Amino acid sequence: MSNYYNMPKLPTENSPKVEIFVDDKPVMVPGDTNLLEALKAVGIETPHVCYHPYLPVSGNCRQCLVEQEGPRGRMLVIACYTPVAPGMKIYTPASSARVKNARKATQEFMLVNHPLDCPICDKAGECTLQENYMEAGQNESRMRPEYGKNYHGNPAHQFIDAKGQLRGGKHVDLGPRVLLDEERCVQCDRCVRFMRSIAKDEQLQLAGRADHTYITTFPGEKLDHEYDLCVTDVCPVGAMTAKYFRFQKRVWLLSHTPTVSMDDSLGANIWLDYADGHIYRVMPRCNPEVNRSWLSNTSRLAFQNFDKNRLPSMDVHKVTLGKGKVALVAGGSCTMEDLAALRMFKETLGDRAELFGGSLLKVGKPDGIAMSGDPVANRAGLKLMGFADVSEFMKRASEFESLITVNANLFGEDPAAAKVLEKINTRVAISPFDDETVKKATIAIGVRHWSEVQGTMVNSLNILQKLNACPVCPDENLWAPYAVLSYMAGTKFECACEAFKKVGEYVPALAGLTYDAIKSTGKLLEGGEA
Amino acid sequence: MRIIKQRPMDWVERLYIFEALRGLFTTLKHAARGLFRYETLPTISYPEGQPEVRNTYRAKHRLMLRPDGTPRCVACGMCAAACPAHCIFIEATASDDPRIEKKVKRFDIDHLTCVFCGLCAEACPVDALRMDTKKISFMHRTREDFVAHLEDLTNWDPKDYPDDEQSQVAPGGKKNAEALEVWGMEVK
Repeated sequence: MSNYYNMPKLPTENSPKVEIFVDDKPVMVPGDTNLLEALKAVGIETPHVCYHPYLPVSGNCRQCLVEQEGPRGRMLVIACYTPVAPGMKIYTPASSARVKNARKATQEFMLVNHPLDCPICDKAGECTLQENYMEAGQNESRMRPEYGKNYHGNPAHQFIDAKGQLRGGKHVDLGPRVLLDEERCVQCDRCVRFMRSIAKDEQLQLAGRADHTYITTFPGEKLDHEYDLCVTDVCPVGAMTAKYFRFQKRVWLLSHTPTVSMDDSLGANIWLDYADGHIYRVMPRCNPEVNRSWLSNTSRLAFQNFDKNRLPSMDVHKVTLGKGKVALVAGGSCTMEDLAALRMFKETLGDRAELFGGSLLKVGKPDGIAMSGDPVANRAGLKLMGFADVSEFMKRASEFESLITVNANLFGEDPAAAKVLEKINTRVAISPFDDETVKKATIAIGVRHWSEVQGTMVNSLNILQKLNACPVCPDENLWAPYAVLSYMAGTKFECACEAFKKVGEYVPALAGLTYDAIKSTGKLLEGGEA
Repeated sequence: MRIIKQRPMDWVERLYIFEALRGLFTTLKHAARGLFRYETLPTISYPEGQPEVRNTYRAKHRLMLRPDGTPRCVACGMCAAACPAHCIFIEATASDDPRIEKKVKRFDIDHLTCVFCGLCAEACPVDALRMDTKKISFMHRTREDFVAHLEDLTNWDPKDYPDDEQSQVAPGGKKNAEALEVWGMEVK
C-alpha cells in the first residue's frame, strides 16, 4: 500500500485562524489545511479536477493554479498541494491575469482530447469539466476538425466509428456494476486513489504513459468491490458510469431528498434522487463524521426494491388483542417516531405488553468506510427508548399470545424462528412490504417505507440524524408506521413533528429538540464518541 | 416610442352619410369580386385549396434517419430541456450498434401542448429533429392521437424532400446506397 500521496487536512471548527493576503487583501483562514480548502472557507471557489477532500492529494490536473509571492517573485502553485502559511500572499484570477490565463490554458489542454459527448454523457449537468469550463475556460475551440481527437485510451478497445474516425473504447466493461468510457477519461486518477486508499483494494490502475495513459483493471480481473460504485461518484467526468443508472435519466431532471440510509446502523447520509414518482438513484451525501463521501453498493442499490412487493393501503382498524401477553417487536428501520408511537401503544395495553427491537440477522463488522455491519439501523435509538433486544423475545416467545411486528421481518430473517412464532395466536404485521412475516400474519397493515416518511434515527456513533420524506410513495393513502401505531394507541399523530415531541417525553436527551434544530449532518448526542 | 396623432375628421367625414355609403360600396365591391373574379381574391377557400407552405415554416416535427433507418436522435434531452411547453417526452436506452452509445426508446411530442416555437429543432445537437414537414393541420379524433410517437415522427418519405441532401441519405433516398457504404453496415 503506497502512501506517497498525502491525505488533505480538512479545516474543522477548531482550526487555528491565520492571516493570509488574497489579492492583497488580508483574510483570516483556517491555518492547518491546504490553500484550496482555505480559500473555500472564505468563499473563493477554486476549480479543480483531481483534488477530492477525502482522497489523497495527487496534484496532477493543474487546474487549481494560484499565484504565490515567493523569494523569486510571483510563482504559479497548485492550491490543493500548498499548505497554508501565515502571511503568505496569494493572487487569484480576481487580480491576476496570469492565473486566469494559466487556468484557461490548462482547461483548454484538458478539453483538447475530450470527446464532445455531453449530449449522451450521463455526467452532463454535474460534470466537473463542464463546471470548470464555465468558471475558468470558455475558450473558442482552436482545434481543426480534420485533426479530431487524438486520445484513444487502450489500443485493444479502439474502433472505427460510423464516420470513419478512430475512437477509443466507449463502453469497456470493468465489472458487474461499472462501465468505463476511455475517451472521456482525463486521467485524474481519483478512482485509482479511491480503490487504493479508501477501498484498500487496488483493482484499478493507470496503464501506459503520457498521452497513452488509460485506466484499466489487471488482466483477467474485474472491478467488483463492495464500494466500486463510489468510483462513479468521484469520477469528475463521465468516464465511469454505473450500469444501473446508465441512460436512465438526465441528471438535471432529478430532484433530491436528503435522508439517511436505514439498512445499516452507521446511517449513511444519502440523497434520494427522484423524478416523476420514482427513485432513480441514491447518491452519498457528504457527512464528515459518518460516511464522508462514500456509500456501499448495498445501501446504494437497495432503492431498487423500495417500490416492489409493496402492501396496498387499507382502512386501518384498531386490532383487538386477546387477554394474554403481547409482544411488540420493532424492526431496525423503525424511526424514533415509530418507536415512540409503539411505546405509547404499549402503555395503553398496560403491563401485559413488552417492547422488543432488532432483527434476527447477524451483526457484521464495521468496514471503516460507510458500513457498521449492523443491519439494525436504529439500534442506538432502540436502546434510548428502552426496547429489549429481540433475542430476549425469541427465548420467551412461547409466553406470548399476541405478536405485533413493525417493519420487522422475523419470519423471513430466520426460518427456524418461524416455527416458534407460528404458535403465537394473533400475529399482526405492520410492514411496507409483502414479506414472509406478512404472509404468515393474521392481520397485516401496509405502511410507508422509511424513504417516504419524515423522522429521526440515532446511529452507531450516537448522532441523531434526520430522515426526510421522498415523494415517491406508490400509494398516497398509506400511513406512516407512527401514524398507524398512534391511531391504535388512541391519539393519532398527524405529523412526524408530533411524534418527535413524544420522543422528547420518553428520552430526556432529545427533549425540547425540533427538526429545525437538527443540522443536515445530524446532532451528536451526549455520550457519543464521534 | 412613436406617437401617432390621428388626423381630425374633416366636415365631409363628419356628415357620416358619405362615409357610410363608402363602406357599403367596399363590401359590395368584394362581394361582386367573389362572384365574378373569384381567383383574384387574396384568401383561399381552405379545405379545398391548400396554402403554399415553405420548408422553413415551423410545421409538424420529424426525426431524421441514419442510412440504416434508425433515428439519428441520441436521446440527449436537449429538445425537452429547451421546450417551453414541456411537450416532449424522451426515454433513452443503450444502442444495439456497438459504435453508437445511446438511442431513443420513446420520443413523444404532444402536439396539443406544442407551441411550435422551433426551439427544439434549434437545440438538437445532431440535427435529428426538424420541423420542415409542411404539415400544418392536425386532425384527430382523440386527445391521445395528437401525441406523435417515434414511429410517426420517423415515418416520412425522402421523395417529399428532394432538395434536402440529409433526407436523401435515409432509406429510400437517392444517396442511401453510398451513405450505407460509408456507414459500413448492411441493411437490416
